[in-house]
Amino acid sequence: MARIDCPAGPGNGDDVTKDKTENTLIKRDDESFPIEVRQERTNPLANVFDGLVRFCQARSMFMLHYCTGCGAIELPPAMTSRFDMERLGIQPMVTPRQADILLITGYVSIKTLKRIILTYEQMPAPKYVIGICSCTVNGGMYWQSYATAKMLKAYFPVDIYIAGCMPRPEAVIEGLKDLMGDIKTGRANSWKKYFQNYDYYLGNQQKLFGENWQTPTDIVAEAQHYNLMTDQTLGEHTALLEKHQQPLQALGMSLHGQKEKA
Amino acid sequence: MSKELNLWLDKLLSDIESVKVKRNSSRRIRIDVEPRALPALLELLQGRASYVHLSAISCVDWIDDDQFELVYHVWSYETNSLVSAHTRIPREPGVYLSIYDLYEPAGFFERDIHEMYGVYFEGSPDMGKFILTEWNGPPPMRKEFDSEAFVNQTFEWENYRPQWLKDLEEEGGGISIRPEDARR
Repeated sequence: MARIDCPAGPGNGDDVTKDKTENTLIKRDDESFPIEVRQERTNPLANVFDGLVRFCQARSMFMLHYCTGCGAIELPPAMTSRFDMERLGIQPMVTPRQADILLITGYVSIKTLKRIILTYEQMPAPKYVIGICSCTVNGGMYWQSYATAKMLKAYFPVDIYIAGCMPRPEAVIEGLKDLMGDIKTGRANSWKKYFQNYDYYLGNQQKLFGENWQTPTDIVAEAQHYNLMTDQTLGEHTALLEKHQQPLQALGMSLHGQKEKA
Repeated sequence: MSKELNLWLDKLLSDIESVKVKRNSSRRIRIDVEPRALPALLELLQGRASYVHLSAISCVDWIDDDQFELVYHVWSYETNSLVSAHTRIPREPGVYLSIYDLYEPAGFFERDIHEMYGVYFEGSPDMGKFILTEWNGPPPMRKEFDSEAFVNQTFEWENYRPQWLKDLEEEGGGISIRPEDARR
């Protein structure tokens, strides 16, 4: 198992160039991302309380496994009696609105990526994303495919990658334990990066899905709610979103195929 | 019954001109046929030899010959054998007849081939988008579509030599055998 400490943006090397042609992802070096530093509180009792909260968070996690690819087959043994994820307090959950961890298991096609982003945005904060398999890191064996997205972390932040094709259940458990450690020490705050750098992530999404891309979740309002607005939250891409955004409408109810009369 | 049918079928097919029959095994028959004769052949197979199950229609892009090869796989529960009827149509304009009236599942296969190769089937009930509902580019399975170039133009790649790996290697860790060395 290889654990990659995931920095905020893509291209975490020194050969990053600014390139903003059509159909190209926006590149950005890591320094431009605001880095969250956990503030120690002045009251020592409050620090103890924070530690307790983080411990409890780390020990009871509901996991939404979005089984996109082959890696999903490693999850049943990891969840059930052989490797038994639940002894770590992790158990599967059926809906994104009640889940803490989003597991992306394998290649992500562009159609699937849309659904994953909808799912991710529906999850309540704090939320953690784990990318399993090589495909989520760099396209894996589908790197030549026109239909799969290559870097998962260009579209929303990823806490931990578990590389491998496919990683064994031991590796999955090890990655989850790493995530638990990160939560306990307060390092797992990728969900804040999504609000803090929403413009960057939205820009990459728009490049792939077109200018009219919008989700039902109002991320900017949520960022305001969590008090996570930075100068990177709003930008040209959120302005474009506002221009094309259409108000959500309730789904039409139908009975026996007959459309409800408006 | 089925043996008689097989004998009869072999004899009949060998009698027809412009049809090349090759019996690969007792359960596999390959037939090469002219495009204009294919619907008649399938009708004959379906009606007279109970080849009622259309397993698939596959398409091969022979870009050097400027042709598409369409392969109709039909199965008979009577003779327990699979007939692959191969036919070649010109790449331009890439239009062929639908066999939806003979085999209803053909509608799906033809729609799929239309989406992936751009071959238009006249008479097919729906030639709309099927799986690639959010794809606006050229049909991606055509040989002239360069998937690798498209991918390199559309996506960015993770850096394979990030700083933390260089730091690890300076300390003596990291990847012991690099992938390009392992392939050598």
